[in-house]
This record gives sequence, structure tokens and C-alpha cells, in this order.
Amino acid sequence: MFGRMIGGTLFRQWKKMLMIAFTIALGASLAAAMLSVMLDVGDKVNQELKTYGANITVVPKASSVLSGLYEVEGEQSGAYLREDELGKIKTIFWTFNIVDYAPFVNVNAKLDSGDEVKVVGSWFNHHMALPTGEELDAGIQSLRSWWDIQSGEWLNEQTDPDSKGAMVGNELANRLGLTVGSTLHVAGAKADDTYTVRGIFDAGGDEDEQIYVQLNTAQALDGLEGKVDSIDVSALTTPDNELAERAAKDPKSLTVAQYELWYCTAYASSICWQIQEAITDCVASPVRQVADSEGAILNKTQLLMILITILSLIGAALGICNLVTASVMERSQEIGLMKAIGAYNGQVSLLVLTEVFITAIIGGVVGFFAGFGFAQIIGHSVFGSAISLRPMVIPIVAVLVFIVTMIGCIPAIRMLLRLRPTEVLHGK
Amino acid sequence: MKKRRMFFHMITASLMRRRSRMVVALLSIAIGATILSGLVSIYYDVPRQLGAEFRNYGANMILTATDGGFTSADMNAGRSVIPAADLVGAAPFRYENIRIREKPVVAAGTDPEQVKATSPYWLIDSGEWFKNSGELLIGAKVADSFRLKAGDKIELSFTPEEQQKNAAENKAVQDNVREFTVSGILKTGGTEEEYVYMNMEDLDSLTGKADRIDVAEFSVSAASEKLKGYVEEINRTASGVRASLVKRVTASETTVLSKLQALVLLVTVVVLALTMICVATTMTAVVAERRKEIGLRKAIGASDGSIIKEFMGESMLLGLLGGIIGSVLGYVFAAQVSLRVFSSSISFRPLLVPITIAVSIIVTGLSSLMPIRSATEIDPALVLKGE
Repeated sequence: MFGRMIGGTLFRQWKKMLMIAFTIALGASLAAAMLSVMLDVGDKVNQELKTYGANITVVPKASSVLSGLYEVEGEQSGAYLREDELGKIKTIFWTFNIVDYAPFVNVNAKLDSGDEVKVVGSWFNHHMALPTGEELDAGIQSLRSWWDIQSGEWLNEQTDPDSKGAMVGNELANRLGLTVGSTLHVAGAKADDTYTVRGIFDAGGDEDEQIYVQLNTAQALDGLEGKVDSIDVSALTTPDNELAERAAKDPKSLTVAQYELWYCTAYASSICWQIQEAITDCVASPVRQVADSEGAILNKTQLLMILITILSLIGAALGICNLVTASVMERSQEIGLMKAIGAYNGQVSLLVLTEVFITAIIGGVVGFFAGFGFAQIIGHSVFGSAISLRPMVIPIVAVLVFIVTMIGCIPAIRMLLRLRPTEVLHGK
Repeated sequence: MKKRRMFFHMITASLMRRRSRMVVALLSIAIGATILSGLVSIYYDVPRQLGAEFRNYGANMILTATDGGFTSADMNAGRSVIPAADLVGAAPFRYENIRIREKPVVAAGTDPEQVKATSPYWLIDSGEWFKNSGELLIGAKVADSFRLKAGDKIELSFTPEEQQKNAAENKAVQDNVREFTVSGILKTGGTEEEYVYMNMEDLDSLTGKADRIDVAEFSVSAASEKLKGYVEEINRTASGVRASLVKRVTASETTVLSKLQALVLLVTVVVLALTMICVATTMTAVVAERRKEIGLRKAIGASDGSIIKEFMGESMLLGLLGGIIGSVLGYVFAAQVSLRVFSSSISFRPLLVPITIAVSIIVTGLSSLMPIRSATEIDPALVLKGE
């Protein structure tokens, strides 16, 4: 009988029930969309901030102290990183957070005119098969996203492995009258080489006076085969907190528990530490200009999204609550009739609650998927990638819908209990 | 006149008698209006606020000399192009090769207060910023190689140009020597760690050359189009300096900031659309509940027009009240968000108040129009019978 009555309400009064389900679906979709976006926004913005380039630099231990000073005298510091160890960067604990990296070798070479010019060897779009079986394309094409290629194109090792191509900064190109296709002869300390200009770029910095070539050709100029001057690493990091700052100064000052927590969190300082463990005799340090600002912007964006989410959750909750109250109260006559023919308060309440909750479950499920859809629209149109489904969104939305529907029912049920059947039926 | 009074009387009486139901409806409209005005204020203010956060990345415009060096007058000429409100900081730099314990080091003279504004990411690892004459901020790598710490005293020597000839001819060289106190150690993770920094006046007195700037870093809080405008303006008007944008900072800022703005815009649109539909369903339910009353009025001779007018008047009054409450609460919310997230105040947009009120009146009006019409279209006898 109970089941038949509920079924009867749901089918015969489907218009009203549809309205409740619709409102609950709206509220649930709002909550699901905002929660999904909020939980994912950190990762997404972090990815976007990678356009600022590397946030960690790795230099040899000996040169980290002296290279700056010796450079002034124009000498070579004599300390290098090993090229064969580059793959090890992708073997550290936070390997999935390493988005991109590129080695650099700097050579002071002479042009035919006798002018000194800096030739930089690097990866442009280097393909790596890692010992872990993973494959990765890394290089400065993505690390230097702000470079504006004024003519020509990026060098690409993959399509063009033995290329003697070079990319030239626009100021140097203007000075020497180079265009795409012209050749350039440079002499290093050990060898000399002729390059063909493949691209001219505007970097808006010191690079505009430099020549970029593939790593192995630059190494050959100075007899530095297998050696690398520095590595730029772009990693997804968690904004620093007090623990990270303390650890960055001296990881040994932490207790064992703190050390574990620090080591297993993607702070810039712990990733640096792990790179130092992986590569022989190196010093990895966060580039504060990038790392620090990333942290600030990430924190602010997340906080902003949290506050907007809270507001929309309140909005969704009130919307559902109001409608449930309004639609239950509307049925006072029907309920009065039930009471008049002998229904107990408990039975009536149970009946109303069950009806509303069945509707709420249907609405909630529909709303959840709709909300997830909205989140995808936001993800695709803003970041061009999908918003991942966080398992924690499901219980949060479920609990929210449950509590809010419950709260919406309370004033209605209280009113129903106070109803005197005679008065209701009389039409007062 | 009398008729109008009756109209208002009926509306207010209906609102007052059904107080609890009306409070529910009003609450729902008010929260909708709050979300509307709050999110729109945030949407308009976020680019400015986030733009200010992006100044953490440091200078986005640099001035260099067209030949040799330029003077502070040249720099100020360039600086005057940029409105004070947009200018976060303008730090002059002058670089000279000096020697510490006979090893060459690059020394930079600058203005510490301006550097704090243009490069907020500089971390003073130990000690503090340099302030007074005779104080020196040294890069971490310099500190490492000379084993210096905050509070140490060191001598800096500089060979003036006229003395360099003597050095080349192996004659006695008269160096300028001055003692400095290390005020702090600088950490940036970049090339700044290889330099030592001091006040411009100290570098002037050490080198004996005054009023010369090699590079000036400007941190300007403006969109890329505006920045380009400033650069052109400086290059056209100021003599002796050439302005250029720091591409790495400006190009990346444009990319990221536009994404963040799009994010806030889309979130605002989705939340607003859903909230407005929510308000509409609530209003529909509130009005639909009164089908009986509508039927009764029709039965005693009220015309459809007068019923629609009265019910609409009631809904719109609710919309008006909700809109007013919502625009106040929305401003409070936006101000709180701004304070908590960006620690700054938000500007009050007077235009938003009438817009919020108008939107909430329209939404409530439209959403109650449908159930009222459907109630008036039916035969009153059927409505009263409850079918």
C-alpha cells in the first residue's frame, strides 16, 4: 500500500515532482560543477604558469660558486654536468611533475669578422626513450614559449637529426645581415663549423644576441663532448609553506616525520633535492622569480575559486530548500484528507519524506552528471583540457543534497503535523 | 487614485499575511541577486587584482641607453609617461666591475626601495636589505666564494679609467678603495646571486662618476596593449633612452591572465544561469500554489488583466526588495573576497545596483507570469474544484 501510494504520487503528480527534481538537479549540478572546477583549478593553472619557463636550474657544483665570477674574466670554469645523466631527471620520486627540461652548453666562438659571439647548444624538440619505458619530448621550443619566431622555424632534432641548422637572435641577425637560409661560419676553441640559419627569433632579452644550435654541434666547437653547462627544468610544484622554507635551508634540521612529508610533497625545494640526488655533483636551485610568483598566483586563484564555490553552494542549497518547502506545503489539503481518514503523523511524514527523497535521488544523479558536463565545458573552453573527476566530489554533492532536502522538509513536516484535518478540509 | 491605493493595499496585505511563504521567496530572490552582483563585481575587479599579483614576476619593461648610459633625468622623462597609478616600481641600475680581495665582481648601484617593488621575489637569506650608505647586499654565490656573512666588513676596490692606462703600462695604480658592511645575502636562483648591490650614491663615490644609469627596470601594471603604447610613447618622447618590453614576462602574463579571466567569466555565467533558473522555479512554485485564490477572484468577477496585474505587482515588489538586499549583500561578499584573496578593497560600482534590481524584477516577473497565465486561462470552476 505504501509503495502504491508513493508510486501514485510520483506518477500522477509527476509535474510537481519533476519541478522538485529539476530544482534539485540544478542545485546539484551547480555544486558538482563548481567543486570539480575548484579542485582541479590548481593543477590547470599550474600547467598554464609553465609558460613562464623553467622554475629550477641545475648547474655543476664547482661552477655554481665560481662560474659567475670567472665569467667576468672570460675563462671557462672547467666543471660540467654529464650528458648521459640527463635521463635520470625523469627517474626521481616526483618524475611525473617534471614537465620539461633542456640542457645548455655555452661556447664563446668567433665569427669570421673576428667578433665574439655566444653559441648555445641545446635541445629543441628532443625525443627521449627513458629507462622506465616512458617516452618524452623535451626542449626549449616549449620551455621558451615566449620566443617570437620572426622568420623561419624552430629547429627540430626529430625531423632533422644531423642538421647544421642554427637559430639566431634578431639583434645579432640584424647586425650581421642574416636571413633564413644564409650561412654562418663560427670558430670555437677546438673546431669550427658552418651553420645554415633556419630561424630568427625575438626573445626580448640577452638571447637576442646569441646563436642557438643543436647540443652536439655546440659541444664539438669547444671539445666538450658529453658535457653540459646547465639544465633548465620546468616542474609542477606545490606553493612553499613554512616547512618547505625550513627544509630548503637545511633538510637535516627536520625530524624524520617532517622529512618524509617534505620529501613526498612536490615543493620546489624537495624536487631540487631529489635532482641533486640523481645527478652527480650538481646544485639544483629554484628560480625564485618563477617559483615564488607561481606560488602566489596559484594560492590566490584557488582561494578565489573556493570563495565563489561557497557562495554558489549556499545559493544552490537555498534554492533547493525553498522549493522543497513550497511544494510540500502546497499539498496540505491532500495530507489533511489522509489525516482525516485516520493516518498517523508518523505515517504521513514518512510518506512525504520518501516521496521527496526518491525525487531528490533522481534529481541529484541527473544534476551531478550535468554539473560534471558544465565543468568539462569550462575546462575545455578555458584550459583546452578535461577536468578530471575527483572521487571526493560525489560524496560531497550527495551529502549536500541530502542535508539540504532534509532541511527543506523540516518546516513543511512541522506544519503538516500541526494541521487539523477539519480546518484544512474546510479550506481555511 | 482610490484604485491605486486598493492595488497597493492588496499587494502588501497579501505579502504580510503569507509572511513565512513570502520570506522564503524573498530569501531565494535575494540570494540570487547577491550572487549576481557579487560575481559581476568580482569579474570586473579580478583582472586588475590578478594583474597586480603578476607583478610578482618582476619588471616587465626596461629602459636602456641609446648610447653608453643615461641620466636619472632621462629615466624620469620616461617614467613620467606612465601614470603613477599603473607604475608599481621603477628601479635604476648601474653596473661596474669592482674587485673584492683582488677578484673581479660586478657591483650594481640601485635604489633599494624601488627594487623591493620591482622584484618582490628577491629573498634576503640572512641579514637585511641595504639601506644606509656603506651597506652592501651580496649575492649568495659571491657570499659562498668569499665566505662572507651578514655583518662582515669588506673592502671594495675600483680602478678608474685613467688609472687603467697605468695598469697596462705596469705603472703604479691608484685604486679607489672603500670599506663596506655586508647587510645581507641575496637569494634569487638567477644571475643576481653573482652580483653585489649597493646604493647608487655609494657606487658614484666609489667610481668617481655620478648620475649614470645603465638599465632601468619598470614594473607596470597594465595590459599588453597599454604597455606597448607606453613603450612607443617613451621611445617617441624621451631622448637618450630606449624602452623595450621584457617579453618573457609580458607574453606569459598575457597568456595566463587571459585564461584566468576566461575562467572567472565562464564560472560567473554558469553560476548565474543556474541560480536564475533556481529563483525562477521557486517563484513558479510560490505562485502555482495560489491557483485557488486566482480561481476565486475570477469567480467573483475579476478580469484576467487585473489578476495578472496584481500578481505581477506582487512578484515584482518581491523582486525589487530581493534585488536591493542582494546588491548590498553582493557588494559585501565581493569586498570580503577581495580583502581575503587579494588584501585590497574593491571599487563600488553604482551601475551594478540598478542592473541587479532590474534583473531580479525581470526574473521574478517572468517566472511568475507563466503560472498566473495558466491559472487565469482555465475555467474558475475547474480551478476551484481542484482539478
